[in-house]
This record gives sequence, C-alpha cells and structure tokens, in this order.
Amino acid sequence: MIRRVSSTALGSLRSFKSCQFHGESLDSSVSPVLIPGVHVFHCPDVVGIVAKLSDCIAAKGGSIRGYDVFVPENNNVFYSRSEFVFDPVKWPRSQMAQDFQTIAQKFSALSSVVRVPSLDPKYKIALLLSKQDHCLVEMLHKWQDGKLPVDIACVISNHERAPNTHIMRFLQRHGISYHYLPTTDQNQIEEEILELVKDTDFLVLARYMQLLSGNFLKGYGKDVINIHHGLLPSFKGRHPAKQAFDAGVKLIGATTHFVTEELDSGPIIEQMVERVSHRDNLRSFVQKSEDLEKKCLMKAMKSYCELRVLPYGTHKTVVF
Amino acid sequence: MMLRRISERVSSSGFAKNWILKSSRFHGESLDSSVSPVLIPGVHVFHCQDAVGIVAKLSDCIAAKGGNILGYDVFVPENNNVFYSRSEFIFDPVKWPRNQVDQDFQTIAQTYGAMNSVVRVPSIDPKYKIALLLSKQDHCLVEMLHRWQDGKLPVDITCVISNHERASNTHVRRFLERHGIPYHYVSTTKENKREDEILEFVQDTDFLVLARYMQILSGNFLEGYGKDVINIHHGLLPSFKGGNPAKQAFDAGVKLIGATSHFVTEELDSGPIIEQMVESVSHRDNLRSFVQKSEDLEKKCLTKAIKSYCELRVLPYGTNKTVVF
Repeated sequence: MIRRVSSTALGSLRSFKSCQFHGESLDSSVSPVLIPGVHVFHCPDVVGIVAKLSDCIAAKGGSIRGYDVFVPENNNVFYSRSEFVFDPVKWPRSQMAQDFQTIAQKFSALSSVVRVPSLDPKYKIALLLSKQDHCLVEMLHKWQDGKLPVDIACVISNHERAPNTHIMRFLQRHGISYHYLPTTDQNQIEEEILELVKDTDFLVLARYMQLLSGNFLKGYGKDVINIHHGLLPSFKGRHPAKQAFDAGVKLIGATTHFVTEELDSGPIIEQMVERVSHRDNLRSFVQKSEDLEKKCLMKAMKSYCELRVLPYGTHKTVVF
Repeated sequence: MMLRRISERVSSSGFAKNWILKSSRFHGESLDSSVSPVLIPGVHVFHCQDAVGIVAKLSDCIAAKGGNILGYDVFVPENNNVFYSRSEFIFDPVKWPRNQVDQDFQTIAQTYGAMNSVVRVPSIDPKYKIALLLSKQDHCLVEMLHRWQDGKLPVDITCVISNHERASNTHVRRFLERHGIPYHYVSTTKENKREDEILEFVQDTDFLVLARYMQILSGNFLEGYGKDVINIHHGLLPSFKGGNPAKQAFDAGVKLIGATSHFVTEELDSGPIIEQMVESVSHRDNLRSFVQKSEDLEKKCLTKAIKSYCELRVLPYGTNKTVVF
C-alpha cells in the first residue's frame, strides 16, 4: 500500500489571503476556505482508536464528513477511513502529517496515510501494456477528461507502435514518453523497467502480458495493479474470454487485483460481471469482456487513489 | 441428453364430455361454429440440422390446424450447422387433438432428421415426475417443497431420497408425510453408493434434481437412468468446484459470489451450465454471510433452472453448453 506521505508547505497561501482589498477585516470573521482531507488507518485493535483519531481532527477545527470503521470478527485488526474538511490555515499540512504520525506510533499502526487532494501532488503512475490497447486508451481518455486523478509518468510496452497511431500521437501531444522494450530477455527488461518507473507511486498493468518476477516486485517495492478479463479464480492466464466461451458459462466478468509473483492470484480489488447466453459468440464474449475490463480497472484505480483499498489478511482487501 | 419422451397421454374422454356440456347450453346459442372455442397453450421445441425452410414448415404446421403462434425463438449459431426453435402457440384441442399434434410434429421431425422434437401442452399433459436427492443441508429441498406447494413448481414429486436420516418429527418429514411423498433414507458408504437401489426408486421419473446431494453419481448410474439430472452448486463454476465452495470463495477474497445450476455428468461439477447468478460480497462479509448469500442464490438459481427446464427452454448445445431460450 502507499507508504509515502506528501507534505507540501502552505506559507504562500496564507499571505495571499491577507491581501484581500474588499473592506474586510483580517480577523477571524473572514470565512475560511475549507478543503477536504482523507485519512486511512490500519493497526491492531484496541479500545479508543476512533476517539483519538476523531479528537485529533476536531482539535484542529476539522469537520468529519464521513467515517468508515471495520473491525473483522476473530481478527484483532482495526481499519478506518475518514473524510473530513479543514482549514489549512488552522491546521497546516505538515502539522497534519505530524499529528496523525503521533497517533500512528501510539497504536503501532501498520498503515497511516493522510491525503489532501487539493494540495498533495497527484499519484505518479506508469502504464504497461502489450498489444491490446483498449484499456490504455480508456485510461488516457479518462485522464484527459480529468476523471483519473493521476500523473502519467510514462507508458511502457513490449510492442512497437508507429508514430502515426492514435496512442503515439496522444502521448506526444501530452508530453508522455512511450518506451518500447521488446521482451527477449525478461531479466534485462525488468531492470530497464525498474529504472523507468522508480519514481512512480504505483504501476498499472493494462493488458501487459508478461509475468513480472518476484525480484521485480521486490525491487519496485510499491503496488502494482492488474486487470484480468476473467472472473478470477476462473480462467487465469491467457484468453480468458475464450476459456469462458468454451466452458459455456452464463456470466462473464473482469477482475482487478494486486500483482504478486503468482499469475492472476493477488488480492482482488474489484470484480464485475455481465450476462452471456447462447446468442453470444466468441466475438461478443470478447467485446463484453473488454467493456467490463475498462470499467473494472477504472473503478479500482479510482478506489485506490481515494485511499479506499487496504490489505486484509494474506490475500484479500478491504475496499471502503 | 434432453428429455426424449414425449408425453402421450390424451384424456380423450374428458374432451367428449366437455363438448357435450358445451352443446347443452340453454342460452339460445346455436351449436354451430360461432361458439367460441377454448384455446389452450402449447410449446414446441425443435433441434435439427440447419436447412432452408424449417420455420416455414413448423409455422405452417401450426397454422394449418388453426393454431396461433404467440412467441417464437429461433437460434442458429454461426459456424455451426444446427437449428433450434421454440414456439409458444395456442390452439383449439378440438380442431387439433393432442395425439394429432404429436403426429404432425413427428412427421416434420422425421423430415429433418431432428435430434429433438418435443411438444408439451401443460394443461393436458401430465406434470413432469421428479425425484429430489439431498444429503444433510435441506434449505434447497425446503425451498423446492414450498414452491411446489404454492403451485410455482409445475412438477409431481415422486419421492425424496437422502443419505442422511431425518427424524419423523422434522419439518421435512412431516411435510412429505402430509403430502404423501415417500422419503427414502439410503445411507451410502465409500464402498457402496447403493446406486442400484436409487435407480429402482427413480426409474419412473422424468428427471432428477440434486438439491445438495453430496455424493457423486457414477457414469453407470447416469447411463442406467438415461434421463437428465440437474444439480445446484453454490459456487460460480468453474471456480470452486467440490465441497464447501462458499468457504473456498471466502478464502480467495473474491468480491462476487454465485451459484450455478447445471446438468450432471460423470465429472464433478462440470456438466453443461443452465443458469448462474451472482451477488456482491465485501470485506464486511464473514464466512457466515458468505454461506447465507450462497444459500439464497442457490435457491433462486435452482428454481429458475427447473422452471426453464419444465418450460422446454433448455436444450443441449455443442458438447458442454446449453441453449436457454
């Protein structure tokens, strides 16, 4: 999960506000601009965590707008996600990070992440794909529409694309680099990929058909999200739409999950289905799978960026 | 694999009586054809090699006898030279007697070398006779029995067979006794599945329903029985075959769980799928709620599959798929 907490300073914002020339006084009757923040917390369960966390927010004048707590049966862990609004003048960003950090230490938290979307830099991601690019195109268009709150560091593929293709022109227009890394030697490739992505916050495999090794995952150290156009654990591996077609199922689906060493087996984040019948042929199975893939990946990425996804047990997730 | 016997019991005496009764009305009505006939519904499914003209022939057959088609489904897959149709029509059994209906469709079936031609007139033909098999978990059976009692399951329940004993004061036993349905406790061991005895009990049924029967029926049994066997599996096949699929799903951390009704083959949980249903699960679900949701889905999925089957909507497609109109 995301471990780095961003801490941009807010000094410049305050001096600008004190220069308003509308006859308003500079005292506290000026209505403050409240901005949203999100905090997720994951620690061993004890009495009093919610009290401490909510008090921390209230003490700095923050107002909680949403609060999700989850403590599973038979499992001594605590998860919470709070959405709140606060005045960054009263509660500076760096102070916020410190305040939550203090509580995290107190409760030996496994994870404590706070995010202020309007101040913190967007998540930096790299997208990896092979030949099929419908998922990538969907990501790029949603990103362009402002619906995917990330910065795309680069696109990496083991397939070459001519400069006059839609993708290449799009990336060029937006100044996003495209790296063609043919997979002849997987080890060598992985080193190159690591070099390209080391500054990203997480990776998205949007139909990248190469298996990333345990070494790579350890070396990268951060989350890698994959989309699989099958309803895991059914139909792992290649051509899940064809596997499903041959199996005569009446429902097909897509699954977004975290990548682990084992193919298509990491903790599941999101799943979606659609009905199929005898009237569907392989073509429509594939088409429906692709439509599901795009929606499922988008939903998972959005959840992830909103700090809704947390690890649960060895291979499950909490998704608030 | 699909239903091969076309029910042929015609209650001809009933019709004659009906006609005489009608002609005895003392309301000044004449006995000519201005008496509005009673139209009854019929269903015909047809499965043969594809050729030009099948729909024309089938629809003409119905029209020629004054029948009126109210619904028609045709399916001819790409790259596959087979034809499937299912027609719903209403007809006057006076103009088109039941056994004549059989004959007329049979003629067309022969013309096209049909793999399957089944006609069913629900108000005349006897209900499908079924036997229900279960082991310890009885929520599926109870659902079937209650729906049957409510008239929502158009079958006759010949008997219930289980490899678990049930005391006579249990809800299931009392229910069955009230309705005169025998309960056969056939205990099985690893060595002896007692399939011969089961065959004996079910030989007069039209199809079998395994409602959480946890024993695998052998190829010999399936061949010996010769008719369809429908199973409900509380997992989204092909995921989570075998025992405890709800727990398998829980451990796998999936976000959707489901149930699957399918035809039984020698291989466990692998026969042609008839119906599947899903429901969302999340981190907030524990094993108990996984099981509860699975059971709810099971009941709905099995009921839907049996209903489709009884309405002649389910046909074999390829080696392990189904057409479900």
